[in-house]
Amino acid sequence: MRLAHLADTHLGFRQYHRQTAAGLNQREADVANVFRHTVDTLVAEQPDAIIIAGDVFHTVRPPNAAIVFAFQQLHRLREALPKSAIIVVGGNHDTPRSAESGSILRLFSAAGVDVVAEEAQRLVYPALDLSVLVVPHQALMGDVRPALEPDGTAQHQVLALHGEIAGTFPSDHAAMEYGGAVLTEGDLQSERWSYVALGHYHVMHQVNERAWYAGALEYVTTNPWGERRDEVARGLPGKGWLLADLVSGEVERRWVEQPRQVHDLPPIDAVGRSVAEIDRLLRAQLEAVPGGYAEQIIRQVVAEIPRHIARDLDHAFIRQAKAGALHYRLDLRRPAPTGPIGLAPGGRRQTLPELLEDYLRRRPLPAELDRDAVVAAGQALLNAVRQPVEEA
Amino acid sequence: MKQQAPIPPIGRVVATEQKPSTPHQFYFWTARSSPIGIGAIVRVDSDERVIHGVVTDGFAYSDLETPLDAVIGAEGDPAGLIDPTARSEIRLYLAAVLRHHPEEPLQPVPLGAVHLATDADVTVALRMDSFTDGEESTGIPVGVYAGGGLEAPVYLDADFLVGPEAAHLNITGVSGLATKTSAVEFLLTSIFQTFPTQKGSVAALCFNVKGPDLCFLDQAGSLEETDRNIYDRLGLVPEPFAAFQCYAPYKADGVNLNTLRTHPDLEGNTRPLVWGLRQVLDYAEVLLNRDDIDAKAGAFIDFLAERVVGQEFRDDSLRAKPFRVETFADLEEFFRAIFDWMEALNRGGEIWRTHHIATIRKVRNRLGNISTRSKGLVTDDGEVHDLPWGEFTDRAVYTVDVAGLDPLAQDLVFARVVSVLKEQLERRTLGVDHVIVFVDELNKYAPSDGPETYVRKMLLDLSERGRYLGLVLFSAQQFRSQVHRRVVGNAGTALFGRMDNDELTMGGYSTLSAAIKAKLATLPKGELMIRHPHFTQPIFVRFPRPAVLTGRDGVQRFPPSPDLPFPDAVARVLRGMDSTLSTEEIRDLVAGRRAEDVRRSLHATQRSRPDDPMAYFRACLGRAVVAESRDMRRGIPGVRSAPDPYA
Repeated sequence: MRLAHLADTHLGFRQYHRQTAAGLNQREADVANVFRHTVDTLVAEQPDAIIIAGDVFHTVRPPNAAIVFAFQQLHRLREALPKSAIIVVGGNHDTPRSAESGSILRLFSAAGVDVVAEEAQRLVYPALDLSVLVVPHQALMGDVRPALEPDGTAQHQVLALHGEIAGTFPSDHAAMEYGGAVLTEGDLQSERWSYVALGHYHVMHQVNERAWYAGALEYVTTNPWGERRDEVARGLPGKGWLLADLVSGEVERRWVEQPRQVHDLPPIDAVGRSVAEIDRLLRAQLEAVPGGYAEQIIRQVVAEIPRHIARDLDHAFIRQAKAGALHYRLDLRRPAPTGPIGLAPGGRRQTLPELLEDYLRRRPLPAELDRDAVVAAGQALLNAVRQPVEEA
Repeated sequence: MKQQAPIPPIGRVVATEQKPSTPHQFYFWTARSSPIGIGAIVRVDSDERVIHGVVTDGFAYSDLETPLDAVIGAEGDPAGLIDPTARSEIRLYLAAVLRHHPEEPLQPVPLGAVHLATDADVTVALRMDSFTDGEESTGIPVGVYAGGGLEAPVYLDADFLVGPEAAHLNITGVSGLATKTSAVEFLLTSIFQTFPTQKGSVAALCFNVKGPDLCFLDQAGSLEETDRNIYDRLGLVPEPFAAFQCYAPYKADGVNLNTLRTHPDLEGNTRPLVWGLRQVLDYAEVLLNRDDIDAKAGAFIDFLAERVVGQEFRDDSLRAKPFRVETFADLEEFFRAIFDWMEALNRGGEIWRTHHIATIRKVRNRLGNISTRSKGLVTDDGEVHDLPWGEFTDRAVYTVDVAGLDPLAQDLVFARVVSVLKEQLERRTLGVDHVIVFVDELNKYAPSDGPETYVRKMLLDLSERGRYLGLVLFSAQQFRSQVHRRVVGNAGTALFGRMDNDELTMGGYSTLSAAIKAKLATLPKGELMIRHPHFTQPIFVRFPRPAVLTGRDGVQRFPPSPDLPFPDAVARVLRGMDSTLSTEEIRDLVAGRRAEDVRRSLHATQRSRPDDPMAYFRACLGRAVVAESRDMRRGIPGVRSAPDPYA
């Protein structure tokens, strides 16, 4: 009994301005191409069940091209794998806030796949001795959540769910998807399931022995560099999906080839450097990108660079880099201001931690809260976000 | 103003070479019709001194030299005896001195007239004037001294009963007369009504160790006129405890409470007592028997408590993902990982982080035992119902009903509750300044012999250090001589009800006269002998029945609800929070659901006490998802012919 687990395909995701020859957004096409390639692999693998654990589409109202494409691919899967269970779960991205809007995912029932986008459903496949409790995002947002418990006599009990497991996401929230329903690891009761297929977190991650996030198939977030940093921290080469053997309990990671790479170049510290030096470093780092920077997604942070130095950089080269890469983000960060304006004593502008503390010291709080504890918690959260960025 | 006629004496002091008066005792004779008896308080008046004493022994004499004279006088026939003349007979009593006035110089009791004590004499004789006079009286009524038709209130000094001067109270008496429990219940009423305001707040925590004894302290019991009169004499109002909460663990099913106080009318202040791993682990030493007590097991338990439980514990050799041990189930998973790791190592895999596998297995077994044997007390899902730590209220009684618990679990409850009381009183965060802890059956929990147990150590510590913290031990047992000497010795006040003759032969009672022992052996219900630091001699008092329902009457008036089937028991608990809920609806809701899921949801609802218990319970339980069978389907044909928009 082999189960393919993928999630967060985010079809219709658009980013940057580059277009394909056909006039489509390049990233939208990238995302579709990766999904098509994954479907090819699934057809070749012939798993007994396929679960797409939420966020098939990036938006509630995806582009027409994405709808047609999704329909084609799911139909293709259905035709190629007539005996497999194919389950699509509604995620936070493709679930409308208003119930009357209806979910676009319903359309795909016609393609022969089982779509669960509103209420939780327990789908039993007697031929596969498989029972899948499917919990879409919407089912977790109501007053009464479904009970996450196995049921019936099927040998293979699987939970498919789209939501955030508290404590799983990195503390800096770089790769975090906001808006998901939050559960605790205890809520999953993973030990009672053969496998728990999770969606929402875009980085492949094992929550516990039997619960996995498959991660997204592409970098479909506004901060692909943060997501990549999270992957590197977890020792992952990139994006992919999971193939779980429900009998042996083994889970294989299947990596997918990305049409382009996400590079976060080593930051340049501009303190004490001349314009020429910085220009040289910018050029050297860009040219050192493995395979060349053309058509890649690249970020270059330059820290502590004063405005007059930034103004004199080689902007012709920068324009050239931006034209060559799919996206070249030159992130020029100014030194901390020390001028006479601001709120801090001595005329210094307040730093962000000072500003935060000042705000938290004045903000009205419920009487039972300890203000010092609130301030400390705020500072800790800020540090958690700032530290990786500053280290990067 | 009419001059009151002087009260005639009832006897006179007599001192002979054979029976001299001393500063601490004297003899006096009385008329045969005198109302004097053992325990009576008398006053000796002489020219310049007044001495108060208490009768400790009595003798009767006739003018016969030997019994033979009596036999011959009756011609050997008891039935035919009619004495030709009335025999002369005297009554001679021995009294122990309670107080001299003036105190110095301390001299033998002079010859003088002996009077029955009046109210004022009792107050002086027992030195109660030193703490009952003035605006800041610290007198706690304990009963009435009855002698010669007089009923004089007797007070204990709160400074010596609840601290800080001395503290603790121990009560001894044979079982079955309800004297011990009744006395403590009455005394608590007395303390709550008269505890001086300047001494702060006081609450009581009673461990109910058998039957329903202490389960109905909020219900009024029936009193007789004589009892009401005593209450009236003592200035007390006979009423049950207004602030009362009873805590009891669940039975193994996790929904029916393991107590006899389960009548629906009493559910309002009957609360569950459920602990999790953290609460148990902190007192894991309790669970180890004498054979287990070694540094190795202790070290491993410390390791678990400090490094593993309640926090993230990482050990890559066991598994890549950190452990997060919050429940017994998590702990078992942790142990399993260690054992798996050791088994994988095969030879040489007996040690994990310096702990031997045998030690680890022992600790695992002991911890596992408590969750198995005391399923109702120890929860596996991490949900905890505890005493209202930090929110104890003034003049409130909290009963912890451990009568139905396994002895090991009883020990655990004692140890943890008393330890937390100590901690919170030390930090002044409990909510009250003083807590009186009542523990019955000290013969079992603090015996003078037998193995050293955690509970005995804890009771010793409590009796030795508690008064500095405001933690006062009221304890009771059948055989005082068989309780650890330091526990009873530290009790500033001792009460004695009817005693067993065998017990009275023990060394601890050697200071009592034979007459007092005889009186103790036949003491009627409702009478006590008291030792108190202010009283130089033991004093007999009569106390009224407590104004609360006894356990036996309570069970009759409020019969315990029968153990209900699981769904109905759940419904009963929820209906206890909201009587408008429908049993049928609740039964339907839990039908087919796993018992442990229902239990977890129910406990969460009980703990949160939400405005809408049903909605909260439903949310915790989650909506059941019914199964839908799926056949393989084919999609609609023809779509494939459309061009791929992204190709």
